[in-house]
Amino acid sequence: MRFQLAALSLRRHASRTLLAALGVAVSAAMLLDMVMLATGMRQSFASLLGRNGFTVRVSPRGTLPFDTEATIGQARAATAAISRIPGVTAVAPVLGTTVHVLGGRDAVTAFALGVDPAVQGDYQVLEGVDPVGNALVASDALLRATGARIGDTLDVAVGFDPQLRTYTGRRRVAVSGRARFTYLSADDRAAGLPLATVQAMGGADRADRVSLFMVRTAPNVDPEAARVAIERALPRVTALSTAGAVAEAENRLSYFRQLAFILGAVSLIVGFLLVTTIVTVSVNERIGEIAIMRAIGVSRIHVVEQIVIEGIALSLAGAAVGLVLGVFTARWLNSILRGFPGLPDAIDFFLFQPNSAFRALALLVASGIAAGIYPAWRAASLPISATLREEAVG
Amino acid sequence: MLALLVVMAALTARAASAQRIDSIPPWKAEVRTIAIDERLAADAGLRVGDLVVLAHEPGSASGDTVRISAVLQRRADPSEVARSEYRIRTHLGQLQELIGYGDRVDRYAIETTGGAAADTALRRINALAFGFRAYPSREIAVETSKTFLVVSRFHRAIGMITIVASATFLLCIMLLKVDERRRDVAAMRLMGISRATVIRTVMLESSFVALLGSLFGVGLGFAVSAFVNAHYQAAYRTPLRFAIVTPGTVTYSVLLSLVLGIGAGALAARRLSRTPPLTLFGR
Repeated sequence: MRFQLAALSLRRHASRTLLAALGVAVSAAMLLDMVMLATGMRQSFASLLGRNGFTVRVSPRGTLPFDTEATIGQARAATAAISRIPGVTAVAPVLGTTVHVLGGRDAVTAFALGVDPAVQGDYQVLEGVDPVGNALVASDALLRATGARIGDTLDVAVGFDPQLRTYTGRRRVAVSGRARFTYLSADDRAAGLPLATVQAMGGADRADRVSLFMVRTAPNVDPEAARVAIERALPRVTALSTAGAVAEAENRLSYFRQLAFILGAVSLIVGFLLVTTIVTVSVNERIGEIAIMRAIGVSRIHVVEQIVIEGIALSLAGAAVGLVLGVFTARWLNSILRGFPGLPDAIDFFLFQPNSAFRALALLVASGIAAGIYPAWRAASLPISATLREEAVG
Repeated sequence: MLALLVVMAALTARAASAQRIDSIPPWKAEVRTIAIDERLAADAGLRVGDLVVLAHEPGSASGDTVRISAVLQRRADPSEVARSEYRIRTHLGQLQELIGYGDRVDRYAIETTGGAAADTALRRINALAFGFRAYPSREIAVETSKTFLVVSRFHRAIGMITIVASATFLLCIMLLKVDERRRDVAAMRLMGISRATVIRTVMLESSFVALLGSLFGVGLGFAVSAFVNAHYQAAYRTPLRFAIVTPGTVTYSVLLSLVLGIGAGALAARRLSRTPPLTLFGR
């Protein structure tokens, strides 16, 4: 009965109901998008860093991995020292540098990673094999830029002497495979080479030096404890656990999180105001009708319930449409933010997480319920006879 | 003494890009001087005149004792938002010596008289100088502003969604507002007032409500932008203004709300005027 009356009341002003539901839907979509933005970045970044099981990153003291050109010296000794720490199962040294692929009219510049192919976590070989000796695996973008294919040999240098106008650290390197680089964007020209090759090409400046270590710990070991142990064993490094790295990234992207919070709150308020206004006006229009219901013995709580059901129906309809609308707009917004230069392919700003999404929409529906309670209670509490008289005269 | 790790110090002898907020005369400095940014000054409790040790690595024995001669205010630079590193300015030779950089620099900034002179200088440097590559500032600006273009596109998209949401809200409210006048409209029609006059009256009223709402909205917009600026400026410790209410924004918002308000009013008034007065009375 209550549901039927609520449905009739909403149907009586179909265009108004439709418009209100649409308003709630847009608010719900915005709220959903902002929840996806606030939680998605963290989840996406944590998932990226957690790939391959590396839980701690070690970089030169006071820097973040690849934040500067600073390197860690005595890399072999450092690798051994980290490996001795209880709970550490693998240490992957990485040396980052810029390489120039020569041969064409203009040299093609690329980002190169010197790694130990046996333990590295920076790329996945899509075709071919891991590099050994004077060999490299290249990203699709680098292969496109150089026109090279697997099996070809490239003339590669790591430096340029501006005085002599000659390339330094030059050697011929075979393309052993095609790879996807985990922490780089699809448009980045990148190459993976054996660490020893990159160090040798860099000369004395790069001998026995690395940019960072990636450390894998046993599943039952707290990465934070390993991090502390590494910093204690190597005073000239900064060790960062995945949780710490996620917190650091969150700090750098906090603008988006705060924007998401502000806009999410605004969406919730707008949705609440919209439902409140619609229900209040609807109740004011039906004061006489409500007084008659009360006069023929319909209980106050029954009247309140019927009006609250109207608010819930509006919110639910809006939330359902908003869910679909929100997913589509999130895709659109995500495609815009994915235009950030150098953003790793695996990073998404908007990530649909059912729990967070449904909690947000439940909050909107709850605000719709709250929006209906006051006008409903006020209408149900009006003096019956005076209201009937006023309505009859007015 | 405080040992400072020089991480991001720029190799430049010019510190003109930041505003000096406190300084001591150079002739009073008996050791070499540096300038630090206000964030470092606040966090490390440093003041003009303090002596500090600069080293290129933490705990390095070969540090250089210097005196802080100025505290610099950060520029309103979007690229510095959410970056937590500190900045210091040293003399070029001092930094080259400190980090063992030799007689080298990362880049030169060249001032020209502008216009064709810039292009001529660019051509001559690229043709004559060994191993140098000169770029026009505008080219560098395009490259470095890609991040902000993305942020700007994102803001525009969010703005579009917000406009759709507020337009729906506004339409809803205006329709309800006009709908509330059904009894008055009925009375006017029964008194013999023409349909056109009724429509004009209702539209005038809705325009007035829309205008009043717009003015209130503009005030609210100023207040919210002040709050947003205060919040983000404190959070990121930057003088950058994050939200700016421009005359263009105000004009656009007011026009949009007026158009929507008047449109909704016209729509509802037309519907009301076509409904028989007794039906409007509920009889």
